[in-house]
Amino acid sequence: MVFNTGAALLDAIVLAVVSRDKEGTYGYKITQDVRKAIEVSESTLYPVLRRLQKDDCLEVYDRQFDGRNRRYYKVTEKGTAQLELYETEWKNYSSRINGLFEGGESA
Amino acid sequence: MNRIEFMTELAALLQDVPEEERRDAMQFYNDYFDDAGEDKEGEVIAELESPGKVAERIKADLLGQQTEKEYTETGCRDRSSEEKNMPVKGSGAYQKDTGDYGYREYQYGDGGQDKDEQKPWSSNILKVILIIAIILVGAPVIIPCAFAIIAVAVAGITALFAFFFAIVLCFIVVAIVGAVLVGAGLLTLIPEIAVGLALIGTGLILGVIGTVGTVAGVKLCIVVLPGICRGIIWMCRRPFQRKAVV
Repeated sequence: MVFNTGAALLDAIVLAVVSRDKEGTYGYKITQDVRKAIEVSESTLYPVLRRLQKDDCLEVYDRQFDGRNRRYYKVTEKGTAQLELYETEWKNYSSRINGLFEGGESA
Repeated sequence: MNRIEFMTELAALLQDVPEEERRDAMQFYNDYFDDAGEDKEGEVIAELESPGKVAERIKADLLGQQTEKEYTETGCRDRSSEEKNMPVKGSGAYQKDTGDYGYREYQYGDGGQDKDEQKPWSSNILKVILIIAIILVGAPVIIPCAFAIIAVAVAGITALFAFFFAIVLCFIVVAIVGAVLVGAGLLTLIPEIAVGLALIGTGLILGVIGTVGTVAGVKLCIVVLPGICRGIIWMCRRPFQRKAVV
């Protein structure tokens, strides 16, 4: 991809991916889902998840799966609020860029 | 490189991060391999590039944590300036989300007259700085002093115990000497009766003194040592009790 994904956008994408599962989801699936949307190296995702967890945007819990404990990530209330903020910001940002590209008035 | 080698090397490379961080990262990548499945093991390892790269990313993020506040701050500033351009869109959600931090930034841009709201933040930072300064300045003095006090206390207690132990030991030695003298006396009894009898006599006397002394010494220890211990505990507790009263 030509455009870089900044830290905030990556946070937003991860929050969006995790929030799609109400029950929470796990590391491998998050990575795969994120990689469906953007090109990102597998080793980038863990630090992002860990940081969001520390910022109380994500909570983790372990659940039995296939005879082992699997770690699940779930969006917290703060995370949901943060995601809403990101979505609003993204809409503003992209609509202004779109406006510029399409030659209309800039928002 | 297989999964086990990868994980072992990663664990080794994460030796210098806090244990909790290391455990969390190890659990994540362990889960990751489990979920990817055995047939994708090679693929995952190729994607992750190397344990060194993974460890580097983790450490870089841990280091970045200190500057993260800064990052949020600039993020908030951007948002607040945007909001001035578009006051209608999502302003309610915005203020709720970022909390007072972003809000403060907003006020700042307007002229920064809201000093009251800023105070708790700056005084907190000041407090932290002050504490760090006190620790930095005081550490070279306080730490050696504390060590010295502890060392003197330990030495004093050890000396006390050693003193009583020495008393008991002395009497035991006297008793042993007495017994030896009795033995020697018995041996010399045949060639020289007088010397032998004298030796046996002295030996018996020393033996009795030694035995009695040992028993008395042990008794003394039993009586005195618990008293000393109680005294030490009482002395240690005194400063705290006084503080509690005040």
